[in-house]
Amino acid sequence: MPTRQESIDFILDHYEHPRHRGVLTDASLVLQGGNPGCGDVLTFYLRLGADGRVAAVAFEGEGCTISQAAASVMTDKVLGLTLAELTTMDQEALIDELGREVVSTRIRCATLALNLLKTAEPQFRSRGRNGAAGPAPDAPPA
Amino acid sequence: MSTPYARPEALVDTQWVADHLNDPKVRIVESDEDILLYDQGHIPGAVMIDWVQDLNDRVRRDYLGREGFEALLSSKGIANDTTVVFYGDKNNWWACYAFWVFQLFGHTQARIMNGGRKKWIDEGRPLSREAPVYPKTAYQAQERADYKIRAFRDQVLAHVLARGPLVDVRSAKEYTGELLHMEQYPQEGALRGGHIPGAKSIPWAKAVNDDGTFKSVEELKQLYEAENGLRPDQNIIAYCRIGERSSHTWFVLTYLLGYPNVRNYDGSWTEWGNLVGAPIEK
Repeated sequence: MPTRQESIDFILDHYEHPRHRGVLTDASLVLQGGNPGCGDVLTFYLRLGADGRVAAVAFEGEGCTISQAAASVMTDKVLGLTLAELTTMDQEALIDELGREVVSTRIRCATLALNLLKTAEPQFRSRGRNGAAGPAPDAPPA
Repeated sequence: MSTPYARPEALVDTQWVADHLNDPKVRIVESDEDILLYDQGHIPGAVMIDWVQDLNDRVRRDYLGREGFEALLSSKGIANDTTVVFYGDKNNWWACYAFWVFQLFGHTQARIMNGGRKKWIDEGRPLSREAPVYPKTAYQAQERADYKIRAFRDQVLAHVLARGPLVDVRSAKEYTGELLHMEQYPQEGALRGGHIPGAKSIPWAKAVNDDGTFKSVEELKQLYEAENGLRPDQNIIAYCRIGERSSHTWFVLTYLLGYPNVRNYDGSWTEWGNLVGAPIEK
């Protein structure tokens, strides 16, 4: 288990040097969500490849350090997963990775990105039913 | 020459703090909305107090009790005669909230650093990532006094029926019920929108300048008295969504304008907007 300081260093590294921060103009799916506790807001962009797996990801957002760092952490995890696999991602594992001692009083901030990504599959299916506009994926999600 | 604040001892400027960084009788306390701002750099020697982890009861919606408060302050190296200076993000929302909780326990040697964290940084003053550890003290607190500066929902309802003055410090759109939370914040936390009947809409942010410092006495009197009819002799209740923004207004009315009877309704809209049968105006 990481020490409290190691957890803080890990979170601050992702906050100060976020991975995949930006916009995907050719996203297959755009996810937006927020957290009323801290005013955190996130937008995730996912582009699906021909095999139905996440081929590219980006995020942008504003809010507290933990919410934005956790979003950065999640971007590395989702690459190569199907939308169905996103729904099975483990919240407890993420909390452990971020540092349970540090984020225990800000669980909603820590899991905002994860829970938003879990909505990808139902949102994708809903969009398909509703015929909403947006770039089509190369293939349906697995 | 601007009129001095009613209780000027409750406010210090950044230079005062810079001059007292090594004063053993002064403890600087950072309180933020963002729990990791402190770890990214804080005023050298400052300790952190978190409103969730340190000030709230971890089970019920309430504040810590006397023993918990004593343990907290002892662990931060704060003695009964220590002058505590609060500062933080969001124009000192959480600093004022912590200040208010300290007053529930009677720690009157407390100050707010005018302008908060942003002003200290904007002035290019030093920051540290070192978390100091001070010798533990044996702080002794009085029992939490909820009756004087804190209001509960039944008291608020009685206040409404008596047509007592209320101040809604939320944004205009929250007051009208168009939004349940501030602009850009997710709209959760209450089932109904609007405001408590009879409340004046005086958003908290009108009390501060662009740099986060408090406005002058003249400007504050214009806002609260000339424009909204409040008077120092009134028994006033302020509220917002969870009590943090209204603790800022409570500080302004109590310490900067010298109103002796102002209470903070910390249940605020997340309680009132969910209460079955509570009267609401839009």
